[in-house]
Amino acid sequence: MSGAHAGAQAPFKDRATAALADKTLKIAIDRTTGNAERKRAAAVAAFPEFEAARARGKAIKDHVIAHLDHYLEQFERNATASGAKVHWAVDDAGARAIVTRICLEAKAKLVTRSKSMLGEEIGLPHALADAGIERVETDLAEHIIQLAGEKPSHIVWPAMHRTREQVAELFKTGHRPPPAAEDPATMVQSARRELRTKFLSADIGISGANFLVADTGATCTVTNEGNAELTTTPPRIHIVTAGIEKIVPSTVHAFALLRLLVRSATGGELTQYTTFHCGPKRPGDADGPEEMHIVLVDNGRTRMLADEFREMLRCIRCGACMNHCVVYRQIGGHAYGGTYPGPMGSVLTPVLDGLAGSRDLPNACTMNGRCAEVCPVGIPLPTLLRAWRIRSWREKLEPGALRVGISLWAMLAKRPALYRLASRTGVRAIRMFGKAGWISRLPLAGGWTAHRDMPRPKGRTFMEQYRAEQAKKGGRP
Amino acid sequence: MTARDRILDAIRVALPQERPAPDAISAEAKALLADPDTSRPRLVAEGLFDAFILKAESIGTTIDRVGGMEAVPDAVRRYLSGHGLSLSLAVEPTPALTALDWTGLDTGTTLAPDQPAALGKALWGIAESGSLIVHSGADTPILLSFLPLHHIVVLQESDILSHLEDYAAQLADRPHPRNAILITGPSGTTDIEGSYVRGAHGPGFLHVILVASTD
Amino acid sequence: MSGQPNPRVGLFVTCLVDAIRPGIGFSALQLLEEAGCRVEVPEAQTCCGQPALNSGDEKDAAALARQTIAAFEGFDYVVLPSGSCAGTIVHGYPELLANDPVWAPRARTLAAKTHEITGFLVDMMGFRPKGRRLAATATYHDSCAGLRELGIAAQPRALLADVEGLEMRGLEGNDVCCGFGGTFCVKYSDISNAIVTEKAEAIERTGADILLAGDLGCLMNMAGKLHRRGAKTRCFHTIEVLAGRADGPAIGEEG
Repeated sequence: MSGAHAGAQAPFKDRATAALADKTLKIAIDRTTGNAERKRAAAVAAFPEFEAARARGKAIKDHVIAHLDHYLEQFERNATASGAKVHWAVDDAGARAIVTRICLEAKAKLVTRSKSMLGEEIGLPHALADAGIERVETDLAEHIIQLAGEKPSHIVWPAMHRTREQVAELFKTGHRPPPAAEDPATMVQSARRELRTKFLSADIGISGANFLVADTGATCTVTNEGNAELTTTPPRIHIVTAGIEKIVPSTVHAFALLRLLVRSATGGELTQYTTFHCGPKRPGDADGPEEMHIVLVDNGRTRMLADEFREMLRCIRCGACMNHCVVYRQIGGHAYGGTYPGPMGSVLTPVLDGLAGSRDLPNACTMNGRCAEVCPVGIPLPTLLRAWRIRSWREKLEPGALRVGISLWAMLAKRPALYRLASRTGVRAIRMFGKAGWISRLPLAGGWTAHRDMPRPKGRTFMEQYRAEQAKKGGRP
Repeated sequence: MTARDRILDAIRVALPQERPAPDAISAEAKALLADPDTSRPRLVAEGLFDAFILKAESIGTTIDRVGGMEAVPDAVRRYLSGHGLSLSLAVEPTPALTALDWTGLDTGTTLAPDQPAALGKALWGIAESGSLIVHSGADTPILLSFLPLHHIVVLQESDILSHLEDYAAQLADRPHPRNAILITGPSGTTDIEGSYVRGAHGPGFLHVILVASTD
Repeated sequence: MSGQPNPRVGLFVTCLVDAIRPGIGFSALQLLEEAGCRVEVPEAQTCCGQPALNSGDEKDAAALARQTIAAFEGFDYVVLPSGSCAGTIVHGYPELLANDPVWAPRARTLAAKTHEITGFLVDMMGFRPKGRRLAATATYHDSCAGLRELGIAAQPRALLADVEGLEMRGLEGNDVCCGFGGTFCVKYSDISNAIVTEKAEAIERTGADILLAGDLGCLMNMAGKLHRRGAKTRCFHTIEVLAGRADGPAIGEEG
């Protein structure tokens, strides 16, 4: 179980209902995901080779996954040769312990952090607080949610659930002096001023990695703001936390995936800053950290490698699946309750937090397939979500009423003659509940009729009418 | 058992017992990169030079073309005056820049907190994306590319490469620097409602002085 | 085209059409016959098993898959007036029975000859409706399974283009899910409602008289929402229009 989400939360349906009632949240979601969807579509349209690039990206990730041990060892050798220290963590607790120990041994007072979902996954923010270390989030969105005391609601835009008006409120109390106006430009300037001194006085900078390059030992970050470089350059120590699936064979392979990642995430071609970090400051270097630590984190990934969720290891965390998900676009990220929201989160959260507490996530999906359609590395997300449903059914985690309902229905459906009889009787019974074509309240179908009317069945089933016609014609029954 | 061994063991248990030799894996990895043109963007113009300019300008980079390195100080002065800035900037201590005649400009190698501009030299430009490449080193403090509001970068026309792969080949040819950075446009953010704002933490202005090849 | 002028087609009307709107089944029968097919409706059909499959009940889903395979494998083709049920046979069955040495090949064989009806009429039979008239404006929603699992997009539009007098209007978000999702719409009814509300608003904005789609489940969801909202939009399955049945009652209309 992940320490990051050990706290009790309301059930999924209650969280979703609360999110649906939040009109401001809906405005914020529509603004960001709407923009993202339009920009991605334009970027893909401007890149006719996108499909071929996607096939290549998928093949690269599959290749790495099939030789993961080889590449991890190669990465470790090369990173060590560059002067970095490589650490390994089996789970989130192990990873937290390593990072905290490095911070405490360095007597760090102030740590800056550049956005990393892996850091969120392993519960790093809380671990640093528990160790009495001041943590400053430097990504603008992470800065916003740090001021709000929240968790990210999106893996690319962690503060997308907040409107500009709400951000202005946070900055008014969180910035000294407060921003002069509420437009995004003024607020961004205010954050720039507020964070600048933190960057330069931090003892340790922590980043994630979008790629780990096996043949050079470099880690790669991509940002638009420039906060990753400002986080990793001035402090004495740079710590990277990264999932073991982030590995690529070489810089060229990273570039092939980068073309997919940025277009799928923001609709850009490259982020403003793509930086390879290879070891600590070299003799003679004008700047840079004296120590570099890389923490390679498993936390469920080797389990996924061994079971039906292996394909999920291809994920490059672009967020396109959630931007195009009808459910995410109604309830936003927090309602999902895990580190990762949306379709990819609904596959990952049961891995990280256990299926028993998250069985709703793979079920709360219409299986419309749009997520898989936009996934830049061809992850069959609906198939993986269905795989969790199968496990949930097998482990008897599905609600009793549903199990009984499906089993009864299946018992009939497996017996065509009986089924014919039941459907003939059934449609006549259902007809009694409506008038003039529509049923507005139907027992056992409250989920339907609470929100929409039900067309009244025609009275005789197709099979009844068809057989009658056949008999009239004297044809085959 | 160390965490390292537990992770590598778990991987080996999950993967097939029969594993190819490292050479075979490398060959497979290399084969995955064959025919790069089939899966990368075409340049937006015929020549590297035109493609680079089009691409760079499309992402908010401004460009000034000069005939030779000796014309760089004037171009810098033009840029600073054009933006109403004082004629004072930090210049990366790389010989190609420090050797120039900076008379009339207040230059130093470190950026004062209130100094709005810094000048650096890019190793390469990339036509595919309009990117500039900066490597860390004794003469190239990384922070000079990130702290100022105005980042001015000198790029030789002859150093424009076609695609990201061409840069990767250059990178593979030398010792990997501590930082290898692709700068693709001025710093920006879309973190507030997805609306784009320039100059988040890094430079809000990226200006390229493109120097004609002398040969 | 298949090259087979008069193939023997097994029509799987689907459980929803059987119970709720038999007219769609008769439209399918009529169109297939017009296209030159010899159509039969096997008695052993019930449901493709999708509710079980999507609930995670793979055992019952597999049993229904075997029953459906046995009932339909003797035909040249299997045709369904539903992209979702056809998708289950085409993709779901081979996946579900992949580890069954006897049934896996049979599932793959059936999958290879199973089609959604508009796709079948256009791609396999080269069929075009003749002499159909309907003076109305209509908009079309791409049901997700048909669109993404089977590539049904151009075919229904091509067929509808041959209906004289029918003016098609674009639907904003035509390829976005309507929020039906089978059992999803009752299990997570609040979320489903929010999704179908947006869909209904988009449909109303087109000002079209008629909403068309290729799956009765999605149609019931959208029609039910439109009716609850007091909209006057009439809802039909695409093939009802193609079969000339749009002069009869729309979904939810008595007659």
